[in-house]
Amino acid sequence: MKLSDLAEGLNKPIHFEERPVSKELMLELLNIAVWAPNDGLREPWRFIYVDGQNSGILNRLQEPAPAYLLIVMQAEHDSHKQEEDFAAVSCLIQNFRLLAHERSLGVRWTLNEWTYDRKHAEAFMLQDDERIAAVLEVGHIAVHADVTSEKALQEPQLRFELL
Amino acid sequence: MNLSELIMARRSIRKCNALPVEQELVIELLRDAARLQPALDAGAWRVVYAGTPESSKQLVDYMLAQITQSKLGKLIPGKLLDVMKRRFTEIPAHVIVLSAQGTDRLTSDRNFAAVCGMMQSFQLLGWERGLGMIWDTESIIQNESFFKGIGIREDERFVGILHLGYFDKAPRGRKRTPAERKWTIWEGSTI
Ligand SMILES: Cc1cc2nc3c(=O)[nH]c(=O)nc-3n(C[C@H](O)[C@H](O)[C@H](O)COP(=O)(O)O)c2cc1C
Repeated sequence: MKLSDLAEGLNKPIHFEERPVSKELMLELLNIAVWAPNDGLREPWRFIYVDGQNSGILNRLQEPAPAYLLIVMQAEHDSHKQEEDFAAVSCLIQNFRLLAHERSLGVRWTLNEWTYDRKHAEAFMLQDDERIAAVLEVGHIAVHADVTSEKALQEPQLRFELL
Repeated sequence: MNLSELIMARRSIRKCNALPVEQELVIELLRDAARLQPALDAGAWRVVYAGTPESSKQLVDYMLAQITQSKLGKLIPGKLLDVMKRRFTEIPAHVIVLSAQGTDRLTSDRNFAAVCGMMQSFQLLGWERGLGMIWDTESIIQNESFFKGIGIREDERFVGILHLGYFDKAPRGRKRTPAERKWTIWEGSTI
């Protein structure tokens, strides 16, 4: 199986089954996802698991989902390092998304305005030097017979210029 | 190789061989990577490509502009500079990636994150074809002459350069911290 074969499935809108997602499965996938490239091997990430049944403020700030994974990054003072770390964390999330999809787990990768709000960050006991890089909504993918994706069939537009 | 193996096997490649890289292949892999990133709009990112000896040389001049122009740089022996230049000009292809900032921080961050995800897929897709890459964000290259040289626009954010080529030997992997040690379960609000 080639990686590019996953594209069609990833282009379909994600609907979740209600059943919970096993934490063991998430950890199994995360342990592979951490093989993301990251500058200086800083591994600038950590994970907060939030159950969809007991999601506190996420209940009103996010779409419903069986589970949430807050991807928290260390926010270095140096803004250049911070960019590198945000990039590394995004690579990790991409790995996780692809791996999850292969196991019929859907991941909606979200970033919303509230994540910039320190008050909300404190609700999840983030340190002052941490920020939320993404909130992943995770669940088993419900099979919808009716969804055929137009987008997957399209050639993606590329803005490719020569130096 | 299955997906898990692929993700764990990928290494940053700092030393490649002289085999040329086809521009068509780079474009094909970028398209495949974009397809794996449905949330990424075409307008949210742009690639500037250097894949000929002339453009590689041009790019390396931009990258080292700060060093060569600085007082300190004037003290660097010409030979050493040549070695630094050769290290990069010998790499067959360079993919410069830029993301669109949009009108607010949220849009900028979303675009940046999605573009990085695309670049990770691109690295994995490349690995499947024997192509190695190193993601370069060295601060020393990031200065006005460099940005001007590559033609970055006012509303663009520099994401990185992927230097890429075929390679003879992959370096050993450096161990990662187990996810369990970076994992907490939120038990709900205590207040
Ligand atoms: C956003 C980003 C920027 C990076 N910048 C550099 C760089 O400027 N120079 C460098 O040698 N490596 C750079 N790297 C590569 C890391 O050093 C590399 O991923 C790390 O050492 C782990 O090795 P691996 O990729 O082989 O697993 C960068 C990686 C990322 C994700």
